[in-house]
Order: sequence, then C-alpha cells, then structure tokens
Amino acid sequence: MRVSKGALLVGIVLLVPFVIELRTALSWFGIEITVVESALVGLALAVAITAWALWPPNEDGEAADRS
Amino acid sequence: MRNAYVDQFPAEARVVKSAFWSSFLALAIGGIFGLVQALHRTDVLRFIDSTDYYTVLTAHGVLLAITFTIFFLVGIFTWAVTTSLDRGVVDIRFTWSWYVMMVTGTVLVAVAIFSGFLEEPPSILGSELYADVLFTFYSPLQAHPIFYIGLVLFVVGTWLAGFDWFRTWWAWRDENADERIPLPTFMVLTTTLFWYICTLGVALSILAFLLPWSLGIVDSVNPLLTRTLFWYFGHAVVYFWLMPTYVMWYIMLPKLSGGKLFSDPLARVVFVLFLLLSTPLGIHHQYLDPGIAEGYKFIAMTNTMFLLLPSLLTAFTVVASMEHGARQRGGEGYLGWLTALPWRDPVFTGMALAGLMFAAAGFSGMINAGMNINYLVHNTWWVVGHFHLTVGTAVALTFMAAAYWFIPQVTGKELWSRSVALGQVLLWFVGMTFMSNAMHRSGLFGMPRRTAEPQYQNFDFEPAVGTVAEMDAQVALGAVLLVVSLVLFLLNMVLTSFNGTSDSIPDNTYAGTLSGPEDAPEILDNLKLWTAIAVVLVIFAYTLPLASIVESGGLFGPGIDGRQLSLGADLEPALETLREVVA
Amino acid sequence: MNIHTYEKVWLAASMVLIVGFIATITYGAVGPGVSMISDDGGSIDPSEINDDERFEETGVTHVGGNEYEVAVLAQAWSYSPDEIEVPAGSEVTFYVTSPDVTHSFSVVGTNVNTMVVPGQVSEMTVEFDEPGEYGILCNEYCGEYHHTMEGTLSVVPEDEFDLTELSVEAPGEVESGNETTINATVSDGMQTDLETTATLEIGGEQYDEDVTIDGAGSESVEFAVDADQLGEGDHDWTVTVDGEEESGTLSVVDGANDDSGDSDGGDDDA
Ligand code: HEM
Ligand SMILES: [Cu+2]
Ligand SMILES: [Cu+2]
Repeated sequence: MRVSKGALLVGIVLLVPFVIELRTALSWFGIEITVVESALVGLALAVAITAWALWPPNEDGEAADRS
Repeated sequence: MRNAYVDQFPAEARVVKSAFWSSFLALAIGGIFGLVQALHRTDVLRFIDSTDYYTVLTAHGVLLAITFTIFFLVGIFTWAVTTSLDRGVVDIRFTWSWYVMMVTGTVLVAVAIFSGFLEEPPSILGSELYADVLFTFYSPLQAHPIFYIGLVLFVVGTWLAGFDWFRTWWAWRDENADERIPLPTFMVLTTTLFWYICTLGVALSILAFLLPWSLGIVDSVNPLLTRTLFWYFGHAVVYFWLMPTYVMWYIMLPKLSGGKLFSDPLARVVFVLFLLLSTPLGIHHQYLDPGIAEGYKFIAMTNTMFLLLPSLLTAFTVVASMEHGARQRGGEGYLGWLTALPWRDPVFTGMALAGLMFAAAGFSGMINAGMNINYLVHNTWWVVGHFHLTVGTAVALTFMAAAYWFIPQVTGKELWSRSVALGQVLLWFVGMTFMSNAMHRSGLFGMPRRTAEPQYQNFDFEPAVGTVAEMDAQVALGAVLLVVSLVLFLLNMVLTSFNGTSDSIPDNTYAGTLSGPEDAPEILDNLKLWTAIAVVLVIFAYTLPLASIVESGGLFGPGIDGRQLSLGADLEPALETLREVVA
Repeated sequence: MNIHTYEKVWLAASMVLIVGFIATITYGAVGPGVSMISDDGGSIDPSEINDDERFEETGVTHVGGNEYEVAVLAQAWSYSPDEIEVPAGSEVTFYVTSPDVTHSFSVVGTNVNTMVVPGQVSEMTVEFDEPGEYGILCNEYCGEYHHTMEGTLSVVPEDEFDLTELSVEAPGEVESGNETTINATVSDGMQTDLETTATLEIGGEQYDEDVTIDGAGSESVEFAVDADQLGEGDHDWTVTVDGEEESGTLSVVDGANDDSGDSDGGDDDA
C-alpha cells in the first residue's frame, strides 16, 4: 500500500466532483459525452487509483497506515 | 484516570448533551423532508399534494437552518467556554432555563408549521394555525401569532445563552485579571456580540410589526421594511452558523491532524473581522428588491467582498495547521504530506471534507455576491446548491463529524462504530456533490427555487449541457445518498447512547498554538472597542436605506393586510378548470 | 504582532483578489447594457393599483423611437398580461408591481429578474437585440399555487411587430334591397404614423381599403355592403388589419318581415 486505506477511500471520493463536472468541462471544448460514458470514466479512474495505491505491494506499507 | 468533558463538568455535559440531541432531532425530521422535496420537485416520486410542499419546505428551512444549527451551536459554545476557561458556568439553573426557553420556542413554531398538514387546523387565539410562510416569513404572507411568538422565545433563549457565556467569562476574569482571553472563549464572545447586534433587526421586525399585525393590533405592514429587517439579521445568521464550524476548524482540526494551530493572533483577527462585518451587508440579499437605491446595494457588495478576507485567512491557517500536523506525523513532500493525515478518523475526515466543500461554496458565493451576475441566479436553484454547500455541508458535516468526538465526551460512552462513521461522512460528501452540482447547473438555466412543480405549461428550460431530466435524476440520487448518510449518522448516535460507559474516552483537550496569544496585540481583546466599531458600521450601512424605505412606504405601510394565500378544498377544482380554459 | 511571511503574502494576495472583484463588479455595474433594480420605480398603494395611470391598463405601450414600456401586474397566481410581445432591437422598460404578496418577475435564463414587492414598483430597462421566445416565471413563494404562475415573452422581428388594434361595428341583420356598412376602427398604438390596408371578406368577395393613421391615433374605415349582392341567408364576414382580425355574421332577411333593428354582429377575437 502506498497510502492508507482511509486515504485511498477519500481519494476515490474526491474523484466524484471532478467526474461530475467532466461533462460540462468537456463541452467547452466541443466534446459531448453521455452520463454513462462519464460514469465509465469515473470507474476507470477509481480503478486506476486503487491499482496505483496497491501496486507495487509495499512491505512496510502498513507503517503509513496509522490513524 | 479518564478525563473527558463529562468527568470535568458533569452538570454542563448534561445541558450540552440535551442541546445536541435537540439538534439531531431537528436534523432527522428536516433531512427526511429534504428528500421529500427533492423527489417531489424533480417529479421522481410525488406522494404529497403540491400545496403541502410549502409546509414541508417551511419545516425543512426552519428545522435545519434555525433549529439544528443553533442547538448544536449552543452546545459547542458552552463546551468551548467551560473547557477553555476551565471552570463551570456560574449557575447551572440559568443554563437550563435558556435551554428550556429555546425548546419551548421551537415547539411553538413547530406546532404552527405542522398544522399545515391538517385538513382543518385548530383555532387558537382567534385564528386558525397557519405558518406556510417559509423560513423567511416575508410579509404580507402572514403566519399565526404563535409562529412569531415561538421565534421570539427561541431567539431570547439564545440571548440568555450568550449572557451565560459572558457571565462565565466575567467570573473567570475576576480570578485571572491579567490573563488573555483563551482563544475558544474569545471566539464565542465575539460571535455572541454580533449575534446580539443582528438579532435586534429580526426582533424589531417581529415585535414591532409582524406580531402586532398578526394579532390584529395594527392592520398593515410595510413589506419592504420587514423584509429589509429580516435580511439585516439574515446574513449575519449565516455567520452565526458558520462560527462554531470555524471554532471546530481552528481548535479541533489542527489537533486531529496531529499538530497545532498555526497562529492564535490571526485567529483573533479573523473573529474580530466577523464581528465587524457580519451585519452591515445584509442588503446583498436584496440586490433585486425595488425601493432600495443602487448606492446602498453597492455598499453592501463592497462589504461582502471584504468579508471574504477572514474566510481566506481561515483557509490559510487551517491548511497550514493541517500541514504542520501531517509533517509531525512524518508526512513529506510538496503534496505528499496529504497522505499522512489521519483519513481513517471520521472526525478529521468529515471536517476536512466539509472545509473542502466550503471552498467550492466560496466560488459560487462570489457569483452571488456580484451585484450584476446575481441577477442571473437570484432565487434560482443555483442559490440552493450554494447554501447546501455552506450550511448544508460545511456546517452540517462539520457538526456531524464533531458529534463523533463530542458525544463520547459528554456521555462517557464510546462511539458505536468508527467505520460506519467514516462511511457516513464520505457518503454525505458524495451525495452533496451530486445534489448540489445539479442544483447549481439547473439554476444557470433559470430553474426556480421554492417551487413544488417547476414544470411549466408554456415553455421549457434549456440547459447548456445535458437535459433537465438528467439533472433532476442527479438531484434525486444525491438526495437519496444524503438521507442514507443521515440515517447512518443517527443510527450511530442512538446505538452509541446504548453503549455502556467506557474508560477509553480521550481527554477533553483542544489544539495548542504555534504562535500563541502573547503574539497578539492586547487591543484585539478589547471587545468594547470592536463592538462600538461594529455598531457604527451598522449605523452607516443601514440608517439611510431604512429611512428611505420608511419614507416611501410608511412605517406600517399603506393598508397592507395579512395574506394566507390558499384555496379552500372546494375551490381547488374550480381553479383547475380555470387553468385548463386559460391554457 | 508576529505574522509569518507566508501569512503576509497570503494576506496581500487576498486583498488584491478582493479589490479586483470590487473593481470588476463596479465596471460591470456601471458599464452599459446591464440594468439593475433601484428605487426609481417609486412606491404605490396596492389597494389603488386599479386607479393608477400606469397599471389600470397593463401591457405594452410605445414611448417613441425604439422605446417601449410594459406595465405588468404580478398577482396570485398569474401575470397580467401573461403574454408579452415586443420587437427586436427595442429598449423596453418594465414596470411591475403586486396587489397582494411578494412575487418575482423573472425572464427565464436571462438577467431580467426582479422581486415584486407590494407597495413598490420595480422598474428595469432591457435591450432586446434579437428575436426570441422566453418563459416568465415567479421564483418567490407566493402561496399554495405559486408553482403555476407563469407567462411568456416573445421578441418578434421588428417588421412583424405592431400595436395596431381593430374594432368593428356591424349590423347583425339587413333587409334585402337595402345597403348597410361595416365600420372598422383601426387604432395605432405606436407613436409613428401607420400606413396599412384594411380588408373585409364577405360572401366570397374581398374589399381592400387603404388607411393612414397618425401616431397614437385612430381612423375609421367604412365598407359598404349591398344586401342584394349577398343574397338572402347568413353571411360570415372577417375584417383584418395588420394581422388583427375580427369576424361576425350578417344575415340578409326578407324585407317583408321586418322585426329587428341593428345589432352589433361582431364577435371579438382579436
Ligand atoms: C438530507 C439532506 C438534504 C436534502 C435532501 C435537502 C434537500 C433540499 C431541497 C431539494 C431544497 C430545495 C427546495 C426548493 O427550492 O423548492 C432544500 C432547501 C433548503 N435546505 Fe435542504 N436538504 C438537505 C439538508 C439540508 C441541511 C443539512 C440544511 C441546513 C443545515 C438545509 C437547509 C436548507 C434550506 C435553508 C433550504 C431553503 C428553504 C427555503 O427555500 O425556504 N438542507 N433542501
Ligand atoms: Cu448573505
Ligand atoms: Cu410566486
């Protein structure tokens, strides 16, 4: 773990506003995406962050996990 | 030896606990009503009549914006004063008496509002109970006298509470003549002072105008005057909700992050600025009102912008304190320290997320404050989106997170589940992101607030991106998540109170400071001076507008009767037919 | 007082931000094209709105040039008028007041938005450059049926806009062998002169009369109708001017059974 479980969870939660605003933001550049597409982008990002946090498995990772 | 608040001040802890529970009750009812509103407006699920919508909305506004917030506030403030002065209140019976007075006021107000659900509300004092006037109670909409009486009792209760805090401080000062006012007490006292200043407006509005008028003693009001007096109070009240939140951010967050408050002097400056500037800008809620010259609106706008300063300073201090804490915990790097914060702690995480949402709210707030851009968004759902970030999250989420720390402190019982608590604060954040974002965007294309069925016969809304249906769905989804979060919160509170007492409650402490009061000039503690300046600013900002409103509309207005605009049940079909004919 | 360097920088940046905001807003507020509500509209006694010069008859009036005034009454739970039409390229001043409680007058999706407080008149001036259709709604809670309070605002191309009004007087009956007249009174709500054509259609025939009307004046047009030419029976007629239309029925009856006099056969649907 690169970050604590709590931090990972918070990181994923913090993605939500960005994903929601993505549609509006992209539309300024003339790119139209649907709700489902933005949900998929969100999901992909969440998976990416989780993968980043878990990989590479870090032996003393639990040390960072204090709360 | 356990040294929680309940061990230090058992008597005060009972009052604080009662205040918290009163506030949770209001939150529970108000929150569920919020869901009813969200589902009804968006036409996802309608199980009340649209005419009852406004009863629900009045209850939601009053219970959440007034009852929930202020009951929690008096709890926190009583805790802050006694803890930081390290002494109990002067007379606990007095403390109970203001609490009981606030409860009585709330019950009267609630009776008046909830009678709106009855087919035939009972008559009291010669008129039918009625209070479908929303929490702003603009005349000539007229509520039943007990609605106004209840509000007065509630406010007088808070006045007495303020007196209680002052009295406790005076008693402490007699024994500690040369000491600086401890920071938490300083924050409480400055807040109380501007509360006194601003509530004079609403007290005057009710006692001199609305109550006599609802009792039939005078037969007219000046709607613009009572409205202006409401907003004289109405802006400062938002800072009244916010100040206990700031207290938490200043004196709890740094500690929870593992460090100290960056600067005590700056914290004092911030609270002094709030004392000075909270009231003389209420007219910024009236940018669109006729009868108020542009110049006065301009002054309110300028003051509003300057009131950004203490919030910007707070952002700095809070983030700097968190960074300090994170580095104490071994955090490194430019941003890397963020991962070292105690994200598993629901108290910390809840408050941090609340602060983040407050920053977002700052942006939409600047739009609102912009005298001209305001015309685009005034009274649209944009505004509702905005204040669900401020009072509905910055304040409410901070309070809920704080409760996870406070309830163990005042009961001596351990929290039922910290994991559920963490999930709860995260869920609130997500739910509010969905709801508030869609509300903001709906406001931009003109979706009105305070409207049971914002679906019109003769025109459609034209969103820039997406469809109205998508935004409605987003609001409904957000509202559902919020209520799930709310239920988890209440569940945690209830189950905690069934826990047995525990010995592992942390000590009752708050954050120390890196730069202490010795760095703050003595003059900052001169409350009389700041109060005098605050009063002068209010006089400057309000004398002329009020004088011109009275001059043009008369003190009691030109024969304006009270209105309770509803149709009897038998008239409703007639209206429907009429509408069909017209449409 | 001991202030950290970072705090000083932040403080300075904050002040720059604040002053910047005030400057932009001030510029936007005094800059052209943005109208704000002030106390210019004056006050009014809500119980005497019907006797008020401006509000006794609500709707659009032409002031001169491209300037128009619109008097609107916002009341529970409708607007009077609820359909407003103005030309593109115009400068329109709205005057709005309420006889009962507080409402708003909000043109959806624009910054034409004002509170309507009883006792006060909201005045705002707006420039409409392009044609378009807008909704109007009330965004201040005003009682149980607040959500049904709406209207529309159409900005029509300049050449499609007029304030012409038509009223027709016609007999209901005429005896065969006689002649009668259908009188159309055309009034021009604009301050400018109007040249137009009034048209009568009856019995499959069409009669045109050119009229010239002084600004803010009115003229009568007389159409002579010969009963014999129509023949006995009911005849529908229609008078049109500038898109305004009024119609009715004229019956030609046998001269022998003379039992009724003139009556106004017009039924207004302008
Ligand atoms: C459970 C979460 C909540 C939901 C689902 C919710 C939903 C709503 C909705 C849909 C409205 C708009 C009604 C309209 O414009 O017609 C509203 C208004 C409002 N809400 Fe909430 N809300 C929630 C929590 C809160 C909280 C925690 C507060 C304050 C502490 C709050 C304060 C208000 C206020 C003051 C209004 C305006 C009332 C008025 O216009 O008179 N809400 N809420
Ligand atoms: Cu405000
Ligand atoms: Cu309304």
